[in-house]
Amino acid sequence: MKRRIDHQSAGGPRVWAGIEELSDDPQFQAFIDAEYPAVQEFSKTARRDFLKLMGASFALAGLTGCEKSSFITALPYVDQPPNEVIGLPRYYATAVLLDGYAQPVIATAHAGRPTKLDGNPGHPATQGRSDIFMQSAVLQLYDPDRAAAPSRHGEAVSWADVESAIGVMRENWRSDQGEGVRLLLGPTTSPTLLRQIDAFRKQFPKARVHVHAAAGHEARRQITAAVYGQAAELHYNLGDCDVIVGLDDDFLGPGPDQVRNALGWSQARRRSSDRPGNRLLMAESVPTATGALAAHRLIADARRMPVLAEAMASALGVAGASKPDVTEAEANWIAGVVDACKDRAGRSLFVSGLSGSAATALWIARINQQLGNAGRTLNLTAPIVGPADAGTLADLVSDINAERVTSLLVFDCNPVYSAPAELNVGEAIKRVRSSVHLGLYRDETGALCEWQLPLAHPLESWSDARAIDGTVTILQPVISPFYDVRSVHDVFAKLLGAEDQAPDAAIRETWQASFGDAFEARWKQALHDGFIAGAAPFVTASPASNTVAPPNTTGDLDIVFQPDPTVWDGRFANVGWLQELPKTLTTVTWSNVIAVSPALAKRLSAANGDHVEVTVGKRHLKGPLWIMPGQAGNTVALYLGYGRTRAGRVGDQHGYDAYQVRPAGEPWLAQGSLRKLESREDLAVTQLHHRLDGFDLAREVTPGQVEQTTPEQASLYAPWPSSKNAWGMVIDLDSCIGCNACVTACTAENNVPVVGADQVRAGREMHWLRIARYYTGDVAEPRSFFEPVPCMHCEDAPCEMGCPVHATTHNSEGVNQMVYNRCIGTRTCSSYCPYKVRRFNFYDYRSPPESPEHAAHNPDVTVRSRGVMEKCTYCTQRIEAAHVAADKENRPIRDGEVVTACQQACPTKAIVFGDINDPNSEVSRLKRNGRHHVLLEELGTRPRTTYLARWRDDDTESRQG
Amino acid sequence: MSEQSDILPTRQSMGGIADQLTGIPLHFPADRRWLIAMTVASALLMLLMVSVVELFTRGVGIWGINIPVNWAFAIHNYVWWLGIGHAGTLISALLLLTGSEWRNSLNRFAETMTLFAVVCAGIYPILHLGRPWYVYWMFPYPATMGVWPQFRSPLEWDIWAVLTYLTVSLAFWYTGLIPDLAAARDRATRRGWQIFFGITALGWRGSARHWQRWQQTYRLTAGLAVPLVVSVHSEVSLLFAAGQIPGWHSTIFPPYFVLGAAFSGFAVVSIIAVSLRSWFGLQNLVTDDHLDLLGKVLLATGLMTGYGYVFEVFDAVYSGEAHEMQTLIDRFAGAYAWTYWGAVILNFIPLQALWWRAVRRTGWMLLLISASVVVGMWLERYMILVTSLYRDFLVSSWSHFTPSFWDWSTYFGTIGLFLVPFLIAIRLVPVISIFESKELLHKEKEEQQHG
Repeated sequence: MKRRIDHQSAGGPRVWAGIEELSDDPQFQAFIDAEYPAVQEFSKTARRDFLKLMGASFALAGLTGCEKSSFITALPYVDQPPNEVIGLPRYYATAVLLDGYAQPVIATAHAGRPTKLDGNPGHPATQGRSDIFMQSAVLQLYDPDRAAAPSRHGEAVSWADVESAIGVMRENWRSDQGEGVRLLLGPTTSPTLLRQIDAFRKQFPKARVHVHAAAGHEARRQITAAVYGQAAELHYNLGDCDVIVGLDDDFLGPGPDQVRNALGWSQARRRSSDRPGNRLLMAESVPTATGALAAHRLIADARRMPVLAEAMASALGVAGASKPDVTEAEANWIAGVVDACKDRAGRSLFVSGLSGSAATALWIARINQQLGNAGRTLNLTAPIVGPADAGTLADLVSDINAERVTSLLVFDCNPVYSAPAELNVGEAIKRVRSSVHLGLYRDETGALCEWQLPLAHPLESWSDARAIDGTVTILQPVISPFYDVRSVHDVFAKLLGAEDQAPDAAIRETWQASFGDAFEARWKQALHDGFIAGAAPFVTASPASNTVAPPNTTGDLDIVFQPDPTVWDGRFANVGWLQELPKTLTTVTWSNVIAVSPALAKRLSAANGDHVEVTVGKRHLKGPLWIMPGQAGNTVALYLGYGRTRAGRVGDQHGYDAYQVRPAGEPWLAQGSLRKLESREDLAVTQLHHRLDGFDLAREVTPGQVEQTTPEQASLYAPWPSSKNAWGMVIDLDSCIGCNACVTACTAENNVPVVGADQVRAGREMHWLRIARYYTGDVAEPRSFFEPVPCMHCEDAPCEMGCPVHATTHNSEGVNQMVYNRCIGTRTCSSYCPYKVRRFNFYDYRSPPESPEHAAHNPDVTVRSRGVMEKCTYCTQRIEAAHVAADKENRPIRDGEVVTACQQACPTKAIVFGDINDPNSEVSRLKRNGRHHVLLEELGTRPRTTYLARWRDDDTESRQG
Repeated sequence: MSEQSDILPTRQSMGGIADQLTGIPLHFPADRRWLIAMTVASALLMLLMVSVVELFTRGVGIWGINIPVNWAFAIHNYVWWLGIGHAGTLISALLLLTGSEWRNSLNRFAETMTLFAVVCAGIYPILHLGRPWYVYWMFPYPATMGVWPQFRSPLEWDIWAVLTYLTVSLAFWYTGLIPDLAAARDRATRRGWQIFFGITALGWRGSARHWQRWQQTYRLTAGLAVPLVVSVHSEVSLLFAAGQIPGWHSTIFPPYFVLGAAFSGFAVVSIIAVSLRSWFGLQNLVTDDHLDLLGKVLLATGLMTGYGYVFEVFDAVYSGEAHEMQTLIDRFAGAYAWTYWGAVILNFIPLQALWWRAVRRTGWMLLLISASVVVGMWLERYMILVTSLYRDFLVSSWSHFTPSFWDWSTYFGTIGLFLVPFLIAIRLVPVISIFESKELLHKEKEEQQHG
């Protein structure tokens, strides 16, 4: 029986087609007319221009002083290494870095080159799960735009020149104990780097260290320090929560803590099979993935967050909280919070984000204290990130301007781009007599520094770092550097005056002390496991008793700054996979947007893509507007990370630079105004329509609606004879947080090409797996849904019937196969596909032969040429590998032995794959679940990919905020 | 009988008709106009060649297609050209078999038109392919890997249908031409023409046995051609109807497509009839009565096509299926509603003027109405393709389609591909069947004398 939720029934939520339908404004009407037959400029060349450039730039890099081998010469082994078996990948446990934290990975290396990163399954914090940044790190490794050799004033130099220059600098510094020497770095968790910094400060006691982070946990640590009166980091224990209440905190959104939070949240959510296991209440100014999942979402301007926090505190009986004025909607929401927290001592959690500042966080901390959550669902540790007593970037700039700085050493951070423009870091750096930049790219900062030193990628260097829970990973190289690069530890060793040493010497030295006599064994164990057991110990602290003034909110509009969902603070701007990844709620690619509420857009008579000017204080920026359903009326969201000028050929000149208006003092919430401009642009959007329109496409069930599923629809066709295994997939819509980790993992595993903004605009993105975003309800206060849509692998597949040449066929295990070399490109399969999951190579989207991107390709997956259809294969190469392994041991394939790339990456374990012939497999078990349903079941395609409906937390759930 | 059958003015001589019609290729009367037309047509053909080179060099990405609208102009124009082609066969073969002798003034150029329209249609399935160099994989040749085409696919049926149709149309056209080629040979004075017509006439001497065998062949081929019209375009409609896409998945599609094809084809026949008649002064052979009959046929097929429109709507509404209704609403009021209403208006509104006899008998009015139908039927195919694909089942895959420059250039280029051989045929072979006109005239005269 189908449970159709009729969105058009009386009293149900109203559905809407697009924001413009609600307006009679002729300009809105004009936008509707213009949206569809959008004037499209087709790219002038068959291939993406930038990839040609990638190839060209690579050739240049080969000419200009790269001493070591490059990709151009790939010779077979003369003497094959004893453990190397050609064709068999090797796996290394290491980590890549985000915001200074280790993201533990198992790197798959084919013939000495890493091709795929996956989470480290043994790691206590991430349990083998991934996020988009971790998945994409391998492409950044092969980026031909990376800095390939050291340079001085833009002229290529050798490392010997660098070393002698460092020697001269050391002489100078020694004379005045490092007076005027400043180190500027991004947040780091590396024990070795922190040890080296300490050693450096011992040698030069007057040198100072500054930390700059444009986004991420640095700001959270500052707030936490203000609230608890001591430096600390917060750790949410979401797995034990029955109720989670958030104020502008996208804890399931991108960031270093996403994987751990998503794991915990989804575990709690799945605690029971007949009702949702936890309840999430969110108050948000700007819609986020977390808010989209909330049972009860309140829309409130950013400036309301401290008020809401205090009102909640007052309602929950926190001492000292007065009862502020709240609107009716806010009061309803708070009543819901109080109701949900009843009898949940120690099983609830209140969290707050950055826009509400310390004033909000202080009330939240007191509520957690009051409800007994502290120490149970909320834990504190000492800061994992260092260095502890670092100054800020603002301090550094004022010191430079006061002529107190003679030497500036910038390590792996790009303040010229990512600092608030009002600090004018670029001008400041020019005033420093001697400046050194060590970074992956010759970026905006590198271009202004006297010396630009190329940094080794984490996958090609020795290092160590702590994961979000404080567990240490030793980073080992998976490939020897192919550019003339050095690790940060190598450079520090030179700064410390050390002679040339082994690349892992600094790391070994750090761990010598704690490993003691059993060093070699423990070192080997650490490299093998990918981590050294032992998370940071919890500490106890109480919220301060003083009051913190809420931020100044006198302006027209609240301007909220957020890191971009895919390129973060801009450091991933040159990673094509991340640029082309549709952003979680907007599906915009290759650009950032200025998100406003539907009401504000209507006031401005502006539509998606119209240029608007944002003014904060005396600074302006211009960018494309995006109407964000469910955004608070007077809040404008700006996304960091775009408008770069020296990111590389992939990342330059997309979007606007939000740092231009970001205030140094209040970097997360500012006051400003908005003005519509005459110009507009076509955004590269992958999903143009979001209304559900009464269609039963993303199903919801309430606990009362769960029923036993009925047998499959009858079919006139005889079933296919099944071989031993029959593969199937179940996707739990209730667990999907729309994070895109699956899409990125699929891109990496299956050599999915990047096609560029023009092709995305033309509707030709190549992702085999898309996350559909749907809205229902009122445009101002919608409910949002995420629905991953891979190939359905239909038993009665319309595509198979359409192909005239047998290029798409059904195998005996039920997989709908795509035979690339048989495909002649009639596109009939795609025309007939009701799910439109097939992707076509309209042009030759392959990289040019000389491009280093080839090194990142999975050798087990064909690279498709022009004119060929492609689609999700259920990672057939992994199925075949499992068959080989099982056949060798003469045993059946075990449940869970075949793991698709999307399944492996999913941080909430929403995707389950397995053998549906085995009634005991997890996928079979889920197919018997009461929430199980089939997408477009009425078509009789009998898909192998099916879904579990999302929970609607209760029947009376409010959608009106 | 006598009233209707007097379609040709009887006050003309047999020899006069032969001289008049063979005179067109032998002493071409309209050199300048022909040259101008040929220049334009050649320019269009050049455009096609440039477009095809660009297409084969870069890929189908030069067109506006995307996912979900991954079929557009190539399939759309394929259907349009093929539909136009059908009228020639219908006029020649069907009316031959039913003994409607008024066809004799029209069949030759209608068949010629069919031939070249099918050629235009026939190149599209190749241009359409992502990898056109593998088009031969659609044929059941003895591949070393033992792979055969997939016979369940409507595209596979399509290849066979079109090739069969092209072969039979060519055979029918050529068979019908033989006696006239002989007539031209006998009147040719220059050596080159004598050899050309001598070879192409296959030694025709007009003996009774020749005529008897010829009659058998011609009627048999006609008997083959008529069901082919129905089967080919039914099959074309299955390209769509075999998919589950809302707006395509309908059992009315085969008759709807066949009638639509005949409709558009008769419109083109009318255009050519009116143009040639005024161009070469053939009012004595293509009479107002002919135009009157063409107008009636056009009106009839048009109304039958209109029935298809009505029932398409009825089917969707009657099914009550949400996605079918969505597509219907998209056609009525969506972003491409202009194609739907354009098709409805251009196909059926001017058509109604054909209820009046005076309109049917006025060349330029018939020409304008026919032109409107040709454009209308083009829009109809655009509508069927794009409005179904751009918003199918899953809202998350809804998108849009805008034809690119190369879409248009390829389309206009095929008009050149049609016109160039058609103009050459006008220049080289008698545009109206001489012997059949004479046969008809003879009959009429006999009846007059004996009646």
